[in-house]
Amino acid sequence: MMAETWIRPVPVVTAESEVFYSGLKERRFLVPRCRSCDAYNWTPYPACRSCQSMDLEWVEVSGRGTIYTFTEIHVGARPFTTDGPYIWAFAQLEEGPRPLIVMGNLIGVGPEEIQIGMPVSIGYHDIPGHDLTMYHFEPTTDATSDGAEG
Amino acid sequence: MVFPSREVAVVGVYTTEQAPTLDRSGFSLEIEAMTGALAEAGLTVADVDGIATTRMTSEVSGSYDPLYFWAEQMGQRPLRYLGSGLPAAALGKAATAIAAGMCETFVLVHGKSGTKINPAKAAMPTAAEQVGAWSERLYGASRAGWYAVWARRYMHEFGVTSEQLAQVAVDARHHATFNPNSIMGDRGEITVDDVMSSRTIASPLHLLDCALDNDGGYAVVLTTTERARDLKATPVTILGAGESIYIDYYLNLPSPLFPPEGGAVRKAADTAFGLAGVTHDDIDVAGLYDCFTVTLLRDLEEMGFCPLGEAAAYVKDGHTRLGGSMPTNTDGGCLSSSHNGHPGGMHVIEVVRQLRGTVTPGRQVPDAQLGVALSQGMSVMGGAGVLVLGVE
Repeated sequence: MMAETWIRPVPVVTAESEVFYSGLKERRFLVPRCRSCDAYNWTPYPACRSCQSMDLEWVEVSGRGTIYTFTEIHVGARPFTTDGPYIWAFAQLEEGPRPLIVMGNLIGVGPEEIQIGMPVSIGYHDIPGHDLTMYHFEPTTDATSDGAEG
Repeated sequence: MVFPSREVAVVGVYTTEQAPTLDRSGFSLEIEAMTGALAEAGLTVADVDGIATTRMTSEVSGSYDPLYFWAEQMGQRPLRYLGSGLPAAALGKAATAIAAGMCETFVLVHGKSGTKINPAKAAMPTAAEQVGAWSERLYGASRAGWYAVWARRYMHEFGVTSEQLAQVAVDARHHATFNPNSIMGDRGEITVDDVMSSRTIASPLHLLDCALDNDGGYAVVLTTTERARDLKATPVTILGAGESIYIDYYLNLPSPLFPPEGGAVRKAADTAFGLAGVTHDDIDVAGLYDCFTVTLLRDLEEMGFCPLGEAAAYVKDGHTRLGGSMPTNTDGGCLSSSHNGHPGGMHVIEVVRQLRGTVTPGRQVPDAQLGVALSQGMSVMGGAGVLVLGVE
């Protein structure tokens, strides 16, 4: 799956996203939570969507969740289809009560085996040639993956 | 039927050739559409004092506001009203500006050539492109992908099947066969099996569940009903309009994804129907955004034409097909006529032509007096504009 040169898009990491991407390097998935009303805010946004407070803190979540919905993309972005179709999914993480639904690629499972509601975990992979770690979803197993597949 | 007193009408519409690829600039489509729509009304560019455009910039000056491009292009005459929003919403707001006296004659113009929505049409990169920290593109999202995950969850929650989605494409193609200007009409009818056996684009959506991805342009002209009496085309009165947005651009799925109270589309539709003083049962013909088959099903539910989860049965019963209670997308829609990048205006134009009684006989809805158009999009249902139109 890994090309010699990484040709999939990479994020421009700024002051607003540096904590998150530093967390990924440490195999931690961090989500902004509002100190005023405790709401999780995903995708990160400048102020809490529930109460408009800018007093947000990054908190680590478990990385466990279930597939909320998914698609197998056959005709899509070319850097992703070099090895055939790929899975783009939304996972609902176990934290709440407001649904915390995160997009990403699901790997390590055949498309015919994927179902809405199946347990998944967030895994991490280092991007070759870049000082960057990205996350993905993978089926939940007893030994939570921390591999560099990707 | 007696309409409430209304002061603004559609007096000119124009569609350029719509084709998979046009060997001409987007600007040439815009200028043909603008002058064509004005000519249909018996007006010229010199009459226009309000405008909205789908272009993103002035590529000549580099201005971030494309309306300055048009102010210059139209001869440096002062424009009095600068429009915005999805096409049906832009027209609705312009109507309020005309009624209030802020401007008199308004044109909405669109033209697109050369660019494609399908990401597979882009060149293979040789290095990693830098994108925003939370961009969908980090994970290879596509427009078909967004609508596919929406469709998947919709089918899961309401027990809807791929065959039921496919019926929307079958009906759209049926309508397109009566529209010589549609891109797919001359390919003839399709069946549910044809849709199901077309190749997968993003599961569960097949090729024939997806809109076209073509070039083309259009324009729509509004002015006062008083002035419309002296113009060439049959005026179509704007009876009500609504606009709503509720989520940023392809960043998250709306949550909840299927709110019983509805989202932006419901809000825009309720506003438009309320201002028009009409009910759903009054509508004779509709043009509802249909970028994918699932989109039309959700349009019908969100707008209140049927309860949540029951649109497949509504379509199956034939309500939206020619001959039904509310023929919908009678030109073939985005699925079989044209998706030219900003096709919301195409739905408006087809409804206008239906109400004038000027479409080809095979698709003319008899005695159509009231129509509704929905422009929609942005993170599956994040933005909406609704226009209720009528003729006496």
